[in-house]
Amino acid sequence: MPLLKEDPSYLSKSRLKSDLVAHNVALPPAKSKKDIYVELHLKHIDQKHAADFSSDEEDQIHDVEDADPEVTEIPDPSGLTDDDLKTALLAHGVKAGPIVASTRALYEKKLRTLMQSNGKDHLNGAEKGVLYSDSEEEEGDEEEDDRDSGSEGEKEEAVEQEGQAQQERSQVTSGSQSVMPNDGSSFSSQAFSITQMVEEMESRVSLSTSADTESGLNGSNVQDNWSRSSRLDMLIQDKYNMKNKTLYYTPEVSPCKGAKKPPQEPVRDVFEDMFPNTPTPTGIYASRRKPIKGAAGRPIQYAYPDSPASPTTLQRREVERRLVPIHIQIGVFLTVACLLYLIFVCVDDSSLSPVMALLDSLTQESDSKEGLQAETQDIPPLQE
Amino acid sequence: MSTTSQKHRDFVGEPMGDKHVTALSGIGVVLGKQLEDQGFDKAYVVLGQFLLLKKDTEMFSDWLKDVTGANSRQSGTCAQCLKEWCDAFL
Repeated sequence: MPLLKEDPSYLSKSRLKSDLVAHNVALPPAKSKKDIYVELHLKHIDQKHAADFSSDEEDQIHDVEDADPEVTEIPDPSGLTDDDLKTALLAHGVKAGPIVASTRALYEKKLRTLMQSNGKDHLNGAEKGVLYSDSEEEEGDEEEDDRDSGSEGEKEEAVEQEGQAQQERSQVTSGSQSVMPNDGSSFSSQAFSITQMVEEMESRVSLSTSADTESGLNGSNVQDNWSRSSRLDMLIQDKYNMKNKTLYYTPEVSPCKGAKKPPQEPVRDVFEDMFPNTPTPTGIYASRRKPIKGAAGRPIQYAYPDSPASPTTLQRREVERRLVPIHIQIGVFLTVACLLYLIFVCVDDSSLSPVMALLDSLTQESDSKEGLQAETQDIPPLQE
Repeated sequence: MSTTSQKHRDFVGEPMGDKHVTALSGIGVVLGKQLEDQGFDKAYVVLGQFLLLKKDTEMFSDWLKDVTGANSRQSGTCAQCLKEWCDAFL
């Protein structure tokens, strides 16, 4: 809550410190006097009350900040109060719980690790920023030279497009884009094979597009710029997606056609050339060949090991394997069914004559059979 | 199928009530003694510490290592055990 009379000199030193940290201001060395804190507080926070910001003051501030990027991170966590520690952690994006006796040590440790990692990040980020900015400037010059066009708007657009593409994609992309200029750049150390490919493609594309511009399509220059960066995006997309495309134009054909489409396709099929739909990264694959007879006394191998079977064939084989025992199962089932049918018939038949006949044939002679037959002859007339 | 121990399942299966700190998964006799000496004699006290650290398993794991000299596996198991208990009952 801002006080009506926000005079920093009335605030305590620790309060000033925490306020400065909360506003992401570079803290002066730890043992500096309160006046310095008050000054900084006045400059950065009390903007309403301060009359003018002279450029000198701002320069001084920037110098202080630039000169001591590490000093901001140094305040010793153990020297901070609980509130200060919490604020410092918040400045690093860590939402800390209550800082109590048992939790304090942990949070101090955490703050230390954060400060160390931040210090390293600052240095690395500065280096990278410088490198990237250099490469972008190089790119802009290169493009101007290639195109023989003097309009600054195009250069800016190209740089913007590169910048946009950079933001969208990962650093790999930006690294590859920055290698675009044919001169050896600082990114050769990154040693991506894709960058070399992009280089090659870019040289081809730039030749074709420069042919376009020279042929007198002024309006398409801007479009080429855009399509170029979009093509690069597609390029990288293709690399990662490995889609199978069937279009196939040669680069020579492109200048004859319209502005937008052909610039896209030569790149796509050149890409296809280099990356046919195979798993090997270089696109080269070797099939096994028959050795020549008599070549170094090697014997001829007529039978080759089985080709890798597709999953459907494997499934079929498995099913076929199971079918043989299934036939046996069916046979057993049928025999059991027949037995059951016989029994059913026997039980159904009240006279049980078939069963008796079977039994008698086994034990007795034909006399009993005749007797049975007489009985059977007698019974039907009785039943009728 | 998670690779939890029986002790873990026993603890997470019911409210901890007044269980001793050694009932926690990953806390054996030795570590239990260490915690007792620090004043954490019951499981709910350790739960209190866990909650103070806003249920952050990493921070709790670090704390346990500091306080008891536990190794990563033990502290990780304990943290996970408490987290699951909280998910179930809190």
